[in-house]
Amino acid sequence: MSTHTPQSRPWALKVSGLGRIYGDPSPASLTGTGPEHGTAVSPSTGAVVAAWDVSFEVAPGEALGIIGESGSGKSTVMRCIAGDEAATTGGIALRSVADGTVNLCDLLPSARRRLRLKDIAAVYQDPAAGLNLDVTAGGNIADPLTAVGWRSYDGIRQRAAELLERVEVPLSRMDDLVRTFSGGMRQRVQIAKALANDPPVLLLDEPTTGLDASVAAGVLDLLRGLLEETGVAAVVVSHDFGVIDMLTRRVLVMKHGRVVESGLTDQLLEDPQHPYSQQLVAAARG
Amino acid sequence: MTTVTPVQTPVRPGTPAHVPGVPGDTVLSVRGLRKDFTLHTIDGRTVDALHGVDLDVRPGEHVALAGTSGAGKSTLLRCVYRTYLTGSGHIWFRTAGGELLDVAALPDADAAELRGQEIGYVSQFLRPQPRRSVISIVASAGVARGMGRADAREAAAAALRQVAIAEHLWDTHATVLSGGQKQRVNIAAGTIAPPRLLLLDEPVSALDPANRAAVLDLIARLEETGTAVLSVFHDLDAIERLATRVVVLGGGQVLATGAPGEILHDPNLPLEVAR
Ligand SMILES: Nc1ncnc2c1ncn2[C@@H]1O[C@H](COP(=O)(O)OP(=O)(O)OP(=O)(O)O)[C@@H](O)[C@H]1O
Ligand SMILES: [Mg+2]
Repeated sequence: MSTHTPQSRPWALKVSGLGRIYGDPSPASLTGTGPEHGTAVSPSTGAVVAAWDVSFEVAPGEALGIIGESGSGKSTVMRCIAGDEAATTGGIALRSVADGTVNLCDLLPSARRRLRLKDIAAVYQDPAAGLNLDVTAGGNIADPLTAVGWRSYDGIRQRAAELLERVEVPLSRMDDLVRTFSGGMRQRVQIAKALANDPPVLLLDEPTTGLDASVAAGVLDLLRGLLEETGVAAVVVSHDFGVIDMLTRRVLVMKHGRVVESGLTDQLLEDPQHPYSQQLVAAARG
Repeated sequence: MTTVTPVQTPVRPGTPAHVPGVPGDTVLSVRGLRKDFTLHTIDGRTVDALHGVDLDVRPGEHVALAGTSGAGKSTLLRCVYRTYLTGSGHIWFRTAGGELLDVAALPDADAAELRGQEIGYVSQFLRPQPRRSVISIVASAGVARGMGRADAREAAAAALRQVAIAEHLWDTHATVLSGGQKQRVNIAAGTIAPPRLLLLDEPVSALDPANRAAVLDLIARLEETGTAVLSVFHDLDAIERLATRVVVLGGGQVLATGAPGEILHDPNLPLEVAR
């Protein structure tokens, strides 16, 4: 198994020793959990060790994937990084925040929320988690802009139009409620909103899961282009190797809350080492 | 063929410029390479692929791997490209900056960087391509290897012309191309702003004779750019024409190495490709 321990490589996001336990957070909860025990649930305390000892760095312009089946802890990791929930332990640093010297886990919730405006953005599987469906597409995108101080109505509309164009949503739909949009279109608006303030770090949680295959392919093409053009550092969480293969260069495999293997994405697909990774790849090949 | 100043991988502290047993003039020096596969989903059985391979490739040299099906030719190329992890041994790669890096032990992020910039790979199988235009696929390979966007687009056009991809296809998605067209687009992307080391695994397997000849010409001209080539061709004619040296693999080991003239006509070597 290979490990990535870049010494002098620039990073935009750094996660170290991240852990999230639901229930009794004492060390006793760890015993008997993890892939070798076949469970994330502590036999003694009943706590769920959703994620433990997760570490990685993502460079500007790089996309890292996290793959695993449902319940493996991948979305927990993403929610901890996004600040949607508190980590039990570990460090999360953004290069854009005090040059990476601050552990985001030590910030007050209000300060943490502010980072979501400019420093880190997330796109969720469910558009309703990232958008207000009862507001227009333009209005949704205006939100993060006004929050960081945009005031000119024309300026905001122009930026919103630019972003919609970028994600290939017809401008004629700008003033329609997002509720009237198709699934793929909602996802595109969510992506436009996430990119509004050009964040250096973008988190994507199952960005195409639940969409029809052809619609999903269109959204993937869009994301792939955006990742290449923008120089954003991305974390892509998915259970689908097709998505990971298309979008990422490196990948972590998670099972029962632990990282069981990491490597270059094509290496993970062609020469997986861990029995669980081999199982996932075999299943993906059908 | 366009040449550009190669991108120099930044020098990492502590990387050697010399390693005992590695000649000073090679781009690639494989030493004691072993690789096996443990198949956990079958019954945990182990498949042996390479047992201690040594091999050198110098700038401008074209080393062709030969041997029967299953001899380990593709496995060797994939270990060098890091699509396969090496079991033991070393894969010394000399960067444009003169450092020797062991690809077998390089952190993933460093290996990824080396790939885009200094090591190219064109395979017989085509990895899923996103729905991007043919010309942008070729041009971005050039950008990754240090070309400016405008230059890369021009060079991409020239490369596509060389492999006879009709101009009306340049703006279509690569997904709609035929197998042979995709293979030629792959070759164009692999040879634009040629990398220091190019790995070719049966790059003409899907081509008709005319296109095959055009691509072989293109590969022949790589020698002028100083690109080191390590290849696998399924037909001996291509090897005879292109290779400066042939390395015969059998049972995961080097059985013989020498000039194509000597090796290819040796009746005692297992050269026929079972298919
Ligand atoms: N990803 C893999 N997983 C398991 N075994 C593999 C894998 N890749 C190669 N092998 C095994 O390694 C051995 C060498 O295979 P390889 O593909 O390198 O042969 P080759 O010389 O390229 O053959 P061909 O001429 O048929 O392409 C074979 O026994 C093969 O089954
Ligand atoms: Mg082969």
